[in-house]
Amino acid sequence: MSLLSVRDLRVEFKTPDGVVKAVAGVTFDLQAGETLAIVGESGSGKSVTNLAYMGLLPTSRTTITGSVILKTDQGEVDLIGMSNDELRKIRGKDVAMIFQDPMSALHPYYSIGDQLIEAHQVHNEVDKKVSRDRAIELLTLVGVANPDERMAAYPHQFSGGMRQRVMIAMALMNNPKVLIADEPTTALDVTVQAQILKLLRDIQTQFQMAVILITHDLGVVAGAADRVNVMYGGRLVESATVNDLYENPMMPYTVGLLDSIPRMDQGHGKRLRAIPGQPPSLIKLGDGCAFAARCSRKSELPSGTCDSSPELKAVAPNHLVRCHLYDSKEKVK
Amino acid sequence: MNGLVAYISRRIGITLLILLAVSFTVYLIFALLPYDPASLTCGKNCNDPGIIEANRKRLGYDKPFFEQYWVFLVGLFAGRTFGEGAATIYCAAPSFGYSFQQHACVTDLIFDAIPVTIALAVGSLILWLVVGVGLGIIAAKYRGKIWDTLSTAFVLIGTSLPTFLTGLILIVFLVIKVDWSPFPAGGYTAPDEDIGGWFLSMVLPWVTLAFAYSAIYTRFVRSQILEISTEDFIRTARAKGLSDGVILGKHTLRAAMAPIVTMAGLDFAGLLGGAILTEAVFNLPGMGRLSLNAVVDIDLPVIVGTTILAAAIVVIMNMILDIVYAFIDPRVRV
Amino acid sequence: MLKGKKSLKVALATVTATVLAGGLLTGCAPANAGGTITYLTNAESWTHADPQRNYTGMHIAWFGSYLQRTLTAYDRAEGAAGSAVVPDLATDTGRSSNGNKTWEFTLRDGVTFEDGSPITCEDIKYGVSRTFATDIITDGPTYAIGMLDIPSAEDGSSTYKGPYSTDAANDTASFDKAITCSEDSKTITFNLKRAVGDFNYTVTYLSFSPVPKAKDDGDQYDMHPVSTGPYKIKSYKVNDSMVLVRNDKWNGSSDPLRANRAFPDKVVVKFGQAEEVRDQIILADKDKTAVSLDAILPTNLSAVFDDEGNVLEKYKGRALNVYDPYVRYAAVNVKKLNCLPVRQAIYYAKNFDSLITLAGGQAFNGDAADGVIKPLMGLDYAKTGYATDDKDWKPEGNIEKAKALMEQAKTECPALYARATDPKQGIFYDIPDTETNKKASAIWIESMEAIGVTMKFNYIEPGKYYSVVLDATKQGDLSSGGWAPDWANASTVIPELFTAEGGFPMSQNWEDPAYAEFKKRSDANLTEPDRKKQGAEWAALNKYAMDQMWVIPGVFSKTQEMWGSKIGGAYFWEPQGALSFGDLNIIK
Repeated sequence: MSLLSVRDLRVEFKTPDGVVKAVAGVTFDLQAGETLAIVGESGSGKSVTNLAYMGLLPTSRTTITGSVILKTDQGEVDLIGMSNDELRKIRGKDVAMIFQDPMSALHPYYSIGDQLIEAHQVHNEVDKKVSRDRAIELLTLVGVANPDERMAAYPHQFSGGMRQRVMIAMALMNNPKVLIADEPTTALDVTVQAQILKLLRDIQTQFQMAVILITHDLGVVAGAADRVNVMYGGRLVESATVNDLYENPMMPYTVGLLDSIPRMDQGHGKRLRAIPGQPPSLIKLGDGCAFAARCSRKSELPSGTCDSSPELKAVAPNHLVRCHLYDSKEKVK
Repeated sequence: MNGLVAYISRRIGITLLILLAVSFTVYLIFALLPYDPASLTCGKNCNDPGIIEANRKRLGYDKPFFEQYWVFLVGLFAGRTFGEGAATIYCAAPSFGYSFQQHACVTDLIFDAIPVTIALAVGSLILWLVVGVGLGIIAAKYRGKIWDTLSTAFVLIGTSLPTFLTGLILIVFLVIKVDWSPFPAGGYTAPDEDIGGWFLSMVLPWVTLAFAYSAIYTRFVRSQILEISTEDFIRTARAKGLSDGVILGKHTLRAAMAPIVTMAGLDFAGLLGGAILTEAVFNLPGMGRLSLNAVVDIDLPVIVGTTILAAAIVVIMNMILDIVYAFIDPRVRV
Repeated sequence: MLKGKKSLKVALATVTATVLAGGLLTGCAPANAGGTITYLTNAESWTHADPQRNYTGMHIAWFGSYLQRTLTAYDRAEGAAGSAVVPDLATDTGRSSNGNKTWEFTLRDGVTFEDGSPITCEDIKYGVSRTFATDIITDGPTYAIGMLDIPSAEDGSSTYKGPYSTDAANDTASFDKAITCSEDSKTITFNLKRAVGDFNYTVTYLSFSPVPKAKDDGDQYDMHPVSTGPYKIKSYKVNDSMVLVRNDKWNGSSDPLRANRAFPDKVVVKFGQAEEVRDQIILADKDKTAVSLDAILPTNLSAVFDDEGNVLEKYKGRALNVYDPYVRYAAVNVKKLNCLPVRQAIYYAKNFDSLITLAGGQAFNGDAADGVIKPLMGLDYAKTGYATDDKDWKPEGNIEKAKALMEQAKTECPALYARATDPKQGIFYDIPDTETNKKASAIWIESMEAIGVTMKFNYIEPGKYYSVVLDATKQGDLSSGGWAPDWANASTVIPELFTAEGGFPMSQNWEDPAYAEFKKRSDANLTEPDRKKQGAEWAALNKYAMDQMWVIPGVFSKTQEMWGSKIGGAYFWEPQGALSFGDLNIIK
């Protein structure tokens, strides 16, 4: 049994323009200790999926269905349908999160010490001193120099990379089983990106955590993840191990994403290929293939094929794809 | 902490310079007005050129502008004497001049009026912060629910009803039409004379003024909370597993405090300059009435005095807010 | 907008009527003594409390009733009887000699200031001297300057500049000769530069009341005048209140006018009452012993009076709708509108009806006036044949008649005709800048358009209005004005308005061909000893001024007053045009 098991998760937002199907039936598993990357353009549902079962979406106009089973020390629990009060006991303890912009993610008016200690205190009935020691220990671990002194400093007194290290330290305060890192490096310089990704990799090993790395950039996934889920239009469109995906991308969207990564083996001066067209409107999504409008290989299929949505199918061991091109289960050359 | 001390002293220095500039500007504006201060002091329908000239000399209006301003400034620190002989008038420092229409030193008029206005402003400030912030929180917390709708109705009524009308309604329906009403139909009782009477005389003015302001604050606090609720650091707080109460009380309100304190500070400073309509309808002899009457009567020394004072209060309040801000927002201290 | 002053006398009251007041009147039983009367007003303070600076009838009535005594005063009685002059500080109403150029008054025994010190001739003399310090003691009447036998300087001002002047050239010597005191300081003699047959009316002004020199501090005396009456000031705070308590040094036996009438133990004036609140307190009878010092708001009139202006049953006995002392009109700047047919055309075209309706209707605003003397003036009033007595006059304006007059003007005075009918020029009307006046100007413009005249308005800030229009160089063609006689003799109306020396010369008519004869008759009538003859002549001169259209007549105006249900003794005190403050008492 996997650590986290997501089954047919659906998230709908009621808006004045209509119902937005932000996540339209997502199923995947997260194994203990693995790093799962979830990749997609903005609006693909990759962030919403995770915010949804964490109870971090605004509740009033959101409908969430499906099940998300998490293995905790108290046994298996379904995060969907939990009361907010039950769910908050899981947040930050069993499942921790870090976010894209470490500046705005930290409260500007409280010292980072206060914020780290608070994260520990909320789940542990221990003396503040204990929480403080833990905070200093973790700051040291994530590479903040003079942690004792820096505890009193405010977020604005840190650089972007350092702030993300503080966020990571905060996420680690309660030894979580799962760390959801939502675009953790997007707002950072390229060199800092690499440092943070390395840090994530190191602490994952050290803490034996499972990590869900949410990103729009397949480039950061390469050395950082074990497995990749590609999402498009609120659905999983391809799922494979990192190596498998890089070597043998199947879905034309995945191919497009890979082509848009600058690579060392490509000559300079060659323009990156972007995927033509816009992501689909999640309100008007019909029965047909969501990617059809942008699909470069649509012409290879008999007309009318794209009017129905393809199923997610295993076309190779541990390689799932949702694409009409693989309806015959044979790879088209 | 040294940074904070340096910051505060720098701020005080700047404020003093601004005050000087304000006093000069106000004085200049009134010198440029098409009113002859000398003819205004010699009675309502005075048109005898001889008398006007005598007055001009007696009051120093025959001197060049800069000399007049200098004498005014010196008067602020050293007091000033008007006229000579048996009809001499002395106004002790800080002297803003002498009002020939009210037969009193402007400073004395202001010292008489300002306690009334302070009492009015402080009382209503407390009331409107409690009601406005409270309702704002409730409206934000129950967004879209009945409480939110009710508070929206309150906001609409409060912001559209002029304070003059609110006050009049309160007086007519809570005082005049009610025989056993404990409240007076306006007027001010000094607290050192009768503290109970003072309180009763202030209740309706507080309510009137606070009514309008709490409506504005309800709307403001509600929108601040809703806006801050979408901030990343609030999401972080939720991701940490904090309860809604802690998030609202510790994280959201802490972030909303800066704009609320700023707004309250400036509104409070504005009120110290006088709440004209409320003071008029409740017959409170405060700064608002003093300035209003001065404007109606073209009582230039009083207008100059109250204008400079009102401007000074706003400038000083800005300084205080900047300093308070440094305590609220660590980013300002750098 | 009014300038002007106070009193109004009615037919029978004459100089010789020296009815002794006090106990003669009924309805002032001491049983009504006690309690507190509260006056409510929108004003932030008294315009002035300094006796030498009080001028309006209401203020003189109030201060004269409670705080200030003068040599003579108007009797306290309803109707015509109130206009009789009676002795106050003096033992009689004065003795004249030297052809009315010397007047002598003797002080009663036992008259004192509030500190118990006796009032002497010197105190009155000092009080009068203050009116000469026109740079400090502003706004008061200047009769002493105009009448006392003191030389004038080249610029026309008095050579005596009052007691505060440090100028060595100050002509104190002449002042000392103009007012003399007897050895015992009991008798005061005024030496006048011209005959004044009714000088004993002049001294009813508080400007002739005593001031103790030791307590005088110039401008600031306005805040703490020393009392000579039955009450004294306990506290006076601008924007707040004035509280009067009984003056224990006051001796009723030396003050028959006020004895047995100083009813309340305490008198309170609450300043700064919001107008609506002030009216509501009285309307709802919230404070049963409150009296409004101001006129009722126009919007509240219909709650108190019926359409004819009669008090409704509910408010019987606690409201008044009466003629005030004022006549309102548009002064014609005759220098500019130097053509009689044009002036007459304006008069005939004027829409009296709409203007009166705008101001509250005939029941509250008053009647179309036929001149500048009100019918209440009795002796001095006679119909002039204008307004309702003029067969060509129509309340809504007689456009045909006015057009005919303009045709006449076309040939008689082509220059003015051309200006008046030129849309680029037109004639200018000065008016205080108020909402009602703006509406009124629209009515005027419409009437004038109907006769082809372009009328333009010069809206002047109310506080500066008179300093502009009284400046001959700044005055327009027509100026809104109002006047009340200073006492019951049109000598305080006709010469004031229509002679160059007058106090209110807005008609600038001294270059008019008809002026010379007018001036001669007016001057002669000032010293006319026969009051009946004098009155008839004032009435004739009123008609004379109207025949020349030196003013476009307006209304004989009315005023409305209101008080609480426990207030007794209220009536309209005609000579001061105010409530009978001194007779108000609390009904037990």
